Amino acid sequence: MRRPLGAVVPIRRFARCVVLALVLLASGTALAQKSGGTLRVTHRDNPPSASIHEEATISTVMPFASVYNNLVQFDLSTDRQNRLETVSPELATAWSWSEDGRRLSMKLRAGVRWHDGMPFTSADVKCTWEQLIGQRDIGLRKNPRRSWYFNLKSVEASGPQDVTFILAEPQPSFLVLLAGGMSPVYPCHVNGAQMRTHPIGTGPFRFGELKQNESMRVVRNPDYWKPGKPFLDAIEFTIIANRSTSVLAFGAGKFDLTLTGDLPPSMVDEVRAQAPSTICEVQTTNTQANLLINRDRPPFDNAEIRRALNLVIDRNAFIEIIGRGQFLIGAAMMPPPSGLWGMPAEDLASVEGYGTDMATRRAQAQGIMRKLGYGPDKPLRLKVSTRNIPAYRDPAVLLIDHIKHAYLEADLEPIDTGAWYVRMLKKDYQVGLNVQGIGIDDPDVVFFENFACGSERNYTAYCNKDMEALFHRQSQMIDFAARRKLVWEIDRKLQEDGARPVISHQRQGTCWWPYVKSIRLSSNSIYNHWRFEDVWLDR
Amino acid sequence: MSVTVPLDHNAELRRAGAFAHGFFGQARFLARRYPLGAAGAIILIFFILCGIFAEWVAPMDPLTTNAKYSLAAPSARNWMGADMMGRDEFSRIVHGARISLMVAISATGLGAIFGVSIGLASGYIGGWFDLVFQRVVDVLQSLPLLVMALVITAALGPSLENTIIAIALPLIPSVSRVIRSNTLSLREMPFVEAAQAAGMSEWRIAIRHVLPNTLAPLIVLATAQLGSTILTEASLSFLGLGVPEPHPSWGRMLSESAAEYVRTAPWLVIFPGLAISLIVFGTNLLGDAMRDLLDPRQRS
Amino acid sequence: MGSYLIRRILLMLLTLFGVSVLIFTLLRLVPGNIADILFDAAGMIDPVEKQKIIRELGLDQPLVVQYMQWISGLLRGDLGFSYISEKPTIDEIAPRIPITASLAAMALTLSVITGVPLGVISAVRQNTKLDYALRVFSLSGLSLPSFWLGLLILMGFVHWFGTIPIYDRNNTPLEQLAFMLVPAMAVGYRASALIMRLTRSSMLEVLRQDYIRTARSKGVSDTGVNYDHALRNAVVPVITIIGIEAAFLIGGLIVTETVFNIPGVARFLVEAIRMRDYPIVQNLVMFIAFSVVTINLLVDLAYSLIDPRIRITD
Repeated sequence: MRRPLGAVVPIRRFARCVVLALVLLASGTALAQKSGGTLRVTHRDNPPSASIHEEATISTVMPFASVYNNLVQFDLSTDRQNRLETVSPELATAWSWSEDGRRLSMKLRAGVRWHDGMPFTSADVKCTWEQLIGQRDIGLRKNPRRSWYFNLKSVEASGPQDVTFILAEPQPSFLVLLAGGMSPVYPCHVNGAQMRTHPIGTGPFRFGELKQNESMRVVRNPDYWKPGKPFLDAIEFTIIANRSTSVLAFGAGKFDLTLTGDLPPSMVDEVRAQAPSTICEVQTTNTQANLLINRDRPPFDNAEIRRALNLVIDRNAFIEIIGRGQFLIGAAMMPPPSGLWGMPAEDLASVEGYGTDMATRRAQAQGIMRKLGYGPDKPLRLKVSTRNIPAYRDPAVLLIDHIKHAYLEADLEPIDTGAWYVRMLKKDYQVGLNVQGIGIDDPDVVFFENFACGSERNYTAYCNKDMEALFHRQSQMIDFAARRKLVWEIDRKLQEDGARPVISHQRQGTCWWPYVKSIRLSSNSIYNHWRFEDVWLDR
Repeated sequence: MSVTVPLDHNAELRRAGAFAHGFFGQARFLARRYPLGAAGAIILIFFILCGIFAEWVAPMDPLTTNAKYSLAAPSARNWMGADMMGRDEFSRIVHGARISLMVAISATGLGAIFGVSIGLASGYIGGWFDLVFQRVVDVLQSLPLLVMALVITAALGPSLENTIIAIALPLIPSVSRVIRSNTLSLREMPFVEAAQAAGMSEWRIAIRHVLPNTLAPLIVLATAQLGSTILTEASLSFLGLGVPEPHPSWGRMLSESAAEYVRTAPWLVIFPGLAISLIVFGTNLLGDAMRDLLDPRQRS
Repeated sequence: MGSYLIRRILLMLLTLFGVSVLIFTLLRLVPGNIADILFDAAGMIDPVEKQKIIRELGLDQPLVVQYMQWISGLLRGDLGFSYISEKPTIDEIAPRIPITASLAAMALTLSVITGVPLGVISAVRQNTKLDYALRVFSLSGLSLPSFWLGLLILMGFVHWFGTIPIYDRNNTPLEQLAFMLVPAMAVGYRASALIMRLTRSSMLEVLRQDYIRTARSKGVSDTGVNYDHALRNAVVPVITIIGIEAAFLIGGLIVTETVFNIPGVARFLVEAIRMRDYPIVQNLVMFIAFSVVTINLLVDLAYSLIDPRIRITD
């Protein structure tokens, strides 16, 4: 069952690079990168901090990912999809799994220095992941990704350039977790407060400044370990809270790039209308609108009413209206072809609530409700709670309109952002409409974060021991095809269980001017490609 | 800086011929005398009628969504187009008139009730009561109106009622100031002294004699505030607070569409913007005329 | 005069004390505190970590203690640290004040230099077409939602000049000044309308007074009478508006700073309220309240200097 992954990959990749370089040389210097210039990027809000390990928002990741490096990363040069096969070296130059698949040994790059001049060693890696599994405290306030590392037992540093991750069970996706944009290596000698306000990394850019509610700036790291990179002198993120101003300013050429995955399809149309020469890519963001159903309180303690609710949702209307036809229908895992693990469309169609025949489904839902004594003259009154921002409110308004067909008369209860999770965790709601981002398109992330007993992001506290056993089983499977089959089964069960009915998978836009070169977005994430080391300006 | 109060402006108006021909005659007289004010009144009445009879005026339900008509351009079916959810914009604007007027009238009314009570009591009772309440008013007045409204809506949570309260509270100081200074000057008037000499109770004097005489400046002030409350609600909506969904609030309709559909669906920006501006313009025209009419110093 | 001033200053302090209690209490009534907001960005809440943050920031202390700590710090000149940026509050607030102050000053200046002459013209040409046109123009200033006006201006600029007048800190000071004119006009439109209306009505009042008739009868030309007295009488409404608008202006500035993306204190305050950044909100509100009461005091003093008929015995 041994699968030699890492060590081979870099060599293959190197060969490919050589070939590519030769091709480029042959085709002349048409693609010679220019150095210098400041990349100006729009941003929507104040990042809660600069410390990526403490946050789960693109507001922090996009501006500050370039300050750090990972051990490994996803290589986007040949394949846009983030998955195990595209994991490539960054601070780790090579890696190998032990025979039993429980030990991941990595060789670290030598001669790398932190921005403050200290050398980077295995101690930093040990420190970072020990913090993440709660074995050490370097002053981070929050740890939103504790559930990712359910399987990590300890980290061993056997030499300054040698580090080994020791897992409880085999877990091929562990490398995928390490490759995500939210898995940078932190310096062991810098405390949490500083990482939040003036982070130190090994990345291509150094932290410049963070002006609260105004702007962020990172500047070129002249001592970056990748020779010749980065190309840009600096990157400046300007916070523009008002969307219309932001779009107008981008269209007028004040900015080169927009905050990634922040433009809903309707606004991409708006940008294209204003500045037709800009490049706009709409990508699946791994953000989904789903329903948090409180099964501990009436009326949704009744499985039949949960079923009626799920039946009567017209998912296509969400796709058409809010997604301008571009959102995707899917279950818990991101649907193909963007995503790697989602059920094929024909399988999905057979899951209850996903069929296209709305009339039949409505009739079914009405039948269920009638049996329970409800009807047009005696509707069941309830509240749909959601966060009081348009991205949440719009789908909630639509939902309320849909469920009327099942005699569910709902009022919208908008909840102030500050009180949202508090309310959800207190279970002080009936149905919540949630929009949720997922860091990496991998079942280990999605299942353990959202559906495992006791996970902090398992807002509905869905807890099913049989399912959890399945989560573990798929996590340990090395064979991709077999694992994916099990993942489909799990996903189907989650939907049939109504664990957290998924309404739609979102697709959002990122726009830039044509003179910005080498922007590469992945097909299944917005978080994992913002090192900016290859980006250059052709001006 | 006290305002002189017209104790008997009816007499003056009668001399000018205001009561010559009954209600319609009077209206015609006023319209001729204050053409801008009359225009304002017509605008306001138009919107009030829209608001009251929204169910009959609006061709469709303002909340029913329809994917087929998402962002539909103005047409015979949707005179003002349809919004992203496919809801008929015209119907939403008509129903929005009700929401806007409800916010404006309730907030102004609430502010006036509290303002008058505090002002009247302060001015009439005086002493420690006056001292304490004037300090409260001072405090309210030194906080910017929008900041107050922001904190209050955040504290109370987003809802129609809470938006009204948040907009009403900051109105109290100006009303109570005006009423108090009027009451103070009225107290010295001979007819109040006469009433006291006749053995009338203080409360009775306050309610029967002082209050009615403060009505003129109150009406002037309230009309002026009516328009600004609508704008405050719009500003709150722009900042993400204000009247929440599903109520069709003009402020939110405008601020959200302005962000997303300026080019792709301009009708969603133009019509709610026009509605707000027109109704505020109308109340302001009317307010000016009211001031000219009721405040003799301004009369030409 | 001296004792009047002392009394006013004491009342001012009392007002400020009231403001401090009010804002402190209101903020605590708002559901969700900084720890909730911090966790919001992480998409989860860990009760243990949350308690740690609450303890770290001293939010587990009794409210009275928290209030006393704040006020005693304020009196010592120690404003504490922003919860979000973890920098001293004063470093966050101080650089933003001049930006907002200059915007407000420019707006006020613009509104005075347009509002006063228009008001005078409107009064002198009372009930002519010009008067009506000017009144409608000024009323429009009071009728447009300010964010809409701002957006229309931005769109106009993009459409006709291909550029957008939003704040850019890479601007030279001169460019900065030129840029600030645009939002200042957006804010000033409203104030100028108010000034115009007040100037007009006080001019009308003056024009009907006896001494004008006397001056006319003495053969002073109409124009001479109008403009000589006009200027003297225009001062009072302008000052009044400054007094009334001081607090109101902040509201207009919040919206304008948001639309034109100006990093001033007004927008900063709104963000701080949203983030439950108590040290920023509390101290900033105190600063604004202090400015408002001071301006009001100065306005009252200015009245008595300009117009001896207004006595300050209150």
